[in-house]
Amino acid sequence: MHRSLRLRLLAGSLVWIVAAVAITGFLLADLFGQHVRERVDAELNGHLDQLTAVLDVAPDGSATLRLPLSDPRLSRPYAGLYWQVDGGPTGAIGLLRSRSLWDTALAVPPDALADGEVHVHQVDGPDASQLRMMERLIRPAELPDTAYRLIVAIDTRQIDEPVEDFATLLAIALGVLALGLAAAAVLQVGVGLAPLGRMRDALGAVRDGHARRLEGDYPQEVQPLVDELNTLLAHNEATVERARTQAGNLAHAVKTPLAILANAARNDSSDLARLVDEQVGDARRQVDYHLALARARAAAAVQQAGLKTPLRPVLDGLIRVMSRLHAERNLHIALTDVADTLACRGDTQDLQEMLGNLLDNACKWARSQVSISATLSDGLITVHIDDDGPGLSEAQRTAVLARGVRADEHTPGSGLGLAIAHDLARVYGGDLRLDTAPLGGLRATLQLPAA
Amino acid sequence: MRILVVEDEPTLAQQLADALTDAGYAVDRADNGLDAHYLGDTEPFDAVVLDLGLPQMDGLTVLGKWRNAGRSMPVLILTARDDWHQKVAGIDAGADDYLTKPFHMAELLARLRALIRRAGGHASALLNCGPLCLDTRNSQLTRDGQPVSLTSHEYRVLSYFMHHPGKVISRTELTEHLYAQDFDRDSNTIEVFVGRLRKKLPEGMIETVRGLGYRLVAPT
Repeated sequence: MHRSLRLRLLAGSLVWIVAAVAITGFLLADLFGQHVRERVDAELNGHLDQLTAVLDVAPDGSATLRLPLSDPRLSRPYAGLYWQVDGGPTGAIGLLRSRSLWDTALAVPPDALADGEVHVHQVDGPDASQLRMMERLIRPAELPDTAYRLIVAIDTRQIDEPVEDFATLLAIALGVLALGLAAAAVLQVGVGLAPLGRMRDALGAVRDGHARRLEGDYPQEVQPLVDELNTLLAHNEATVERARTQAGNLAHAVKTPLAILANAARNDSSDLARLVDEQVGDARRQVDYHLALARARAAAAVQQAGLKTPLRPVLDGLIRVMSRLHAERNLHIALTDVADTLACRGDTQDLQEMLGNLLDNACKWARSQVSISATLSDGLITVHIDDDGPGLSEAQRTAVLARGVRADEHTPGSGLGLAIAHDLARVYGGDLRLDTAPLGGLRATLQLPAA
Repeated sequence: MRILVVEDEPTLAQQLADALTDAGYAVDRADNGLDAHYLGDTEPFDAVVLDLGLPQMDGLTVLGKWRNAGRSMPVLILTARDDWHQKVAGIDAGADDYLTKPFHMAELLARLRALIRRAGGHASALLNCGPLCLDTRNSQLTRDGQPVSLTSHEYRVLSYFMHHPGKVISRTELTEHLYAQDFDRDSNTIEVFVGRLRKKLPEGMIETVRGLGYRLVAPT
């Protein structure tokens, strides 16, 4: 409940709908019941008036009806509507009765009625029924001491049945209404929350590298949030870019003096000059290594989203570079099975950095051939970079990936390339493994998350 | 062979110039992008060493302008920026090689030699013409396998001939490629060096083409 806006909104709507419909139902049923009872009472009253009007009392106290009462139910046995006259000089029960009472008489509780007063009672009737009874006491002018108790009664089933029928119909109608309202509420919540769903999809696209910003128009309640997110994404990009620029500036600031120192030292053969030369080499390697990692960590730290780098153009560009940098070697660099659709999640420069170091290493050691292939499986892109050079022993492979260890002390500018590629791949949630290539030399296997 | 060194750090520029001069090249220098562009656009260089972070106009822009104007001399980028994306950008802008600071001067010289050689269409470090063989790696000339000793000026002239065998080379062209811009050029000195070279080479290998210049030919 606390987690889902949709459930919260739906639950609120449903509680409100059920309560409103239930209260309406009870009120309507109650009103209808009252109405029916009033109608029945009015009817009983009419019958009572009619009975009063047609009752003739002889001077000897015997009573007769001048006319039969009009309602046909009164002449059908146990039809549910009855009349009875009690009293008279003998005080008999059932002095006169309607035919509908057949062979029974109504047992009426004793009651003291003022003249002309009408009382209503609930009594047992024939056939195990419950009756609503209305009675009046009259004293004829000719016999002022003799009271006649005039009674009409109706089976309560005749009241309850229409009320129950109405309640059933009402329940069905209100149920249908409640279902309609609930469906409307579901629809409304769905439509109302749809922009949030779209926003989630757009964010997913950014995370998966299909987009760099949240795109599309959103309602004015959601748009500020979308704008804020886009601003944040832009800010992150700028942060990474700044870190890169600073790293580049630092590289420039440090390396030019190092170059000067190294050149000056090489013109000299003293111990000091040799020391300077050595240390400059070390300093350079450390700067390279830490700058490469600093750049990658900047990217990783802000979780740079929305970055998708197609593999093919990066490899093509690097192969152009390799064919220049290693032009003297006349290497055959073969790019096989690299589909145009392959793309890595992450930054172009970092991908260039990893692949550049691996390719450079392969070109440096290859005798004549370097081979590159890439495949996609289970969301991982696997790039094989093979050479036909001398390769590395098991121990060397482990050592070369360890930080700061140089596998070849003799070729300038090398040694940390593989370690940098390894650490960068780890930052990106991938990995770098070294192996023996089918060509005979080193196989570097770089695995990176696909976009 | 004449090289343009574009480097805004004066000490490094001086070190480069010294090393290149020692290696027998004529060296011109520029310490900003605008001067570099102008020099490269108007003077015939055999190679350029180009820094990327330059005042006034950055190195990649300079390179792009040269290439757009059809200037095809080999260019080696020498920079502290060693990101691979910078290297790709540099190569794609038209650079022929890329070296990062700090560097070994020996490697720079080797790469420059190779660039100049390949620009002349030579695949190997050994340039052959008839009985002559010039090893560009150690500046050693052999004639029928026997070493021939040359002064540095003689070497420069012969090296230019060996890079362009069979091509008629005017005295002006030789002068432009053998001396830096601020050098007091006197085409008579060229004649002197050609004369000395002729004495060390087999008869008739350096022909005089009247009114046009010289040509290196393999003896028949």
